[in-house]
Amino acid sequence: MSTGWRRVILLCLGILGGVAAWPLTELIVGAQGSFPSYLLFVAVLGAAVGLLMGAFFGSAAGIFARVGSRILSGMLVGAFVGMIGGVIGLLIGQAALFLIGGVFLDSYRSFQTIGLPIARAIGWAFLGIFVGAAEGFRAVSGKKIGIGLVGGLIGGLIGGAALEYSRLYLPPSLPSRLIGLVVLGLAIALFYGIIEHSMSFGTLRVLNGRLKGKEFILNEGRIRIGRARRNQITLEPYENLADRQVQIRFRRGEALLTNLEPKYPVLVNDRPVKEHRLKYEDVLKIGSAKLFYSYE
Amino acid sequence: MKTKSNPKATVAAALAAALLLIGAADAFGYNVRLSQIDPSRLLLTQNVRLYVSVTDDRGLPVEGLGAEAFRIFESPDGQNFQRIEGLSEFKPGAAAAEGITFLLLIDNSGSMYDTVEGQPTEDAGRMRITHAKNAVRTFLGSMTQPKDTVGLVSYNTSYTLLAEPSGDKSLAAGFLQGIERPDPEQAYTELYAALTLAVEDFSGFGGRKAIVILSDGENYPYLEHSGSPHPEFGEKIYQYTEPIRACQEAGISVYAVNFAAQKDPNLEAIAVETGGTVFDARDQEELARVYQSIHRQVAGEYLIGYRATMAPAQKKYVRVQVQENGQSRQATRFYFSSTVFGLPLYKLSALLVIPLVLAFLLLWLISRLKFEKKRGPATLEVLKTRVGRAQTRVIPLSSAKTVIGGSRSADLTIAGNPGVKEQHATVVYDSKKKAYTVVGSGDLTVNNRPVKTKVLEPGDVIDVGGATIVFDDGEV
Repeated sequence: MSTGWRRVILLCLGILGGVAAWPLTELIVGAQGSFPSYLLFVAVLGAAVGLLMGAFFGSAAGIFARVGSRILSGMLVGAFVGMIGGVIGLLIGQAALFLIGGVFLDSYRSFQTIGLPIARAIGWAFLGIFVGAAEGFRAVSGKKIGIGLVGGLIGGLIGGAALEYSRLYLPPSLPSRLIGLVVLGLAIALFYGIIEHSMSFGTLRVLNGRLKGKEFILNEGRIRIGRARRNQITLEPYENLADRQVQIRFRRGEALLTNLEPKYPVLVNDRPVKEHRLKYEDVLKIGSAKLFYSYE
Repeated sequence: MKTKSNPKATVAAALAAALLLIGAADAFGYNVRLSQIDPSRLLLTQNVRLYVSVTDDRGLPVEGLGAEAFRIFESPDGQNFQRIEGLSEFKPGAAAAEGITFLLLIDNSGSMYDTVEGQPTEDAGRMRITHAKNAVRTFLGSMTQPKDTVGLVSYNTSYTLLAEPSGDKSLAAGFLQGIERPDPEQAYTELYAALTLAVEDFSGFGGRKAIVILSDGENYPYLEHSGSPHPEFGEKIYQYTEPIRACQEAGISVYAVNFAAQKDPNLEAIAVETGGTVFDARDQEELARVYQSIHRQVAGEYLIGYRATMAPAQKKYVRVQVQENGQSRQATRFYFSSTVFGLPLYKLSALLVIPLVLAFLLLWLISRLKFEKKRGPATLEVLKTRVGRAQTRVIPLSSAKTVIGGSRSADLTIAGNPGVKEQHATVVYDSKKKAYTVVGSGDLTVNNRPVKTKVLEPGDVIDVGGATIVFDDGEV
């Protein structure tokens, strides 16, 4: 799967996450009057949105790696972390909304067209930040958390404003919350897709065999490559490599490749290596697979 | 809830309704004012705090009322009010220790350079503005509470915020010194506009707020008297009801210090309707008491806490009713209560389950997608070019010889790169050995190693003048 496809799938997951979260959101919002307090109401709502969006984003790594079990485990962990993120994010978002909304209400200067959308966008931004960062917490990756923070922040701002403006200017038959949630998911995915590349340590592109054309984005400090599915980069269809063959560590701007299994040779630019400091455009041969290390 | 109504009209209607409610009165001798609603603990504790001022017909605080004298109601629409049973907090005089933010508005229009009686004068000592400046100094000098802050505004044709509210009283005093007689274009008096704008400037400050306006009460709008649109407000002329409405919504009292011989009825209405008072500037003793009077009024306020309802609404209306001797007087204000996800739909449908199921179904389908390559022909694929551009990105190696070069007749043309020869490299297919060999006539690297010729392996990276080309035999 190329980077382009990867982005398309991320966008699809973002949209689906928003669509999946919508019915539950409507159900909970509809029951607001039955909740004993705003605290519980907001926490439950945040948990529901975070759980579903987290599950969909959590599935991404498994889908890219083409490992069914990792899709499921990613969804479960994503749902759990997303749920916590959703609760924290929505509570902070609601606190911000109450605070800012109160100020705009007092100043009553274009409250509906400017004040409320701004206040709501800021509220949503906090939700976005925590839901977006959930995938990073799931992968225990600082870089991924950073990517999610930025994507979620921008996605939340746009999603919150979209909810308010679609409610104001579009026909009432259109479900504005659905639009807002889809925009939130879409924006998180879009920025994730864009920023993921620029915040990564580069990519490894497969040059031959069944996975030819697939690009692995190197966005974790330690990447392991081998036949087994527990590796970040699984080269299952290839021969002459161990379950865990290679490790690449990124530290202080350097990428250090280590051959973990001397039984099989690992070649960089046609030379066998045990340890090697990688530079961009190096050609790696791991088993029968060839990979191109670059940064675009 | 979804409506297609004009948002501005909705706000105007809501404000009008609020104004009506606030203005509702009977012959009961008390004035009830909801000075402030503090919903800052709403999210964490579900509690809302109200600061309620009850004054008699002389504007003096009514003390000694018990919790039973107050009734609290809440409404999501301003129409249907629900009685709140039981108060979570009741403290008379709770705001006494709190600081007050004062905004002093000094009239610097042409008429302020007349005498108090309205006669033109060149004697600075007899001018209204001199009295007004002295009054501000007296006020600043009498400010004794360390938590209080004060800001200064001057207004005429324009509204100018001279000093933001701050604890440093000398700041406002310094700016007071710099107020000078305006030129004729600036000499008009936008009194009602200035008050309305002051409320907006105040909106960012929390806690108890009061406007002290030093004026001769005259509203002399630019548009009406010059015949030209106002440089900032255009065709708009502010009415005296606008600052009243703005102040009531924001819980700000206006205290007016009058510098004309006659009390202006509109200025008096603004002060009284917002819970303030008019002071006579000629009475030096009264002037010295302005600050203490305001403090006494705030100190007499009742703090009432209650548990908020959960009815969905963008803003909740709160009504306080004070009962005494079988009579009642009430005040209504609203606070912001919108949630991040907004108001519920009119009705929920079981069809809502469809998008949820559909989303999971599509996720399952995506997870089934295989992005794996199938067996195909041997190819050369250009990954990137540092200089120039490749005419085609992928070419099949279908003939015995495939030429890579700068020439148009080459099979794979790298155009616009002077470092690439016409026929820079050739990939030769040996059908007996079923092997591809690259042969260079110019500088050539394969897998970053300089070579003249090399038998290619699938995935080998050929570099021709900075163009990165991948060879693949098509096997999987």
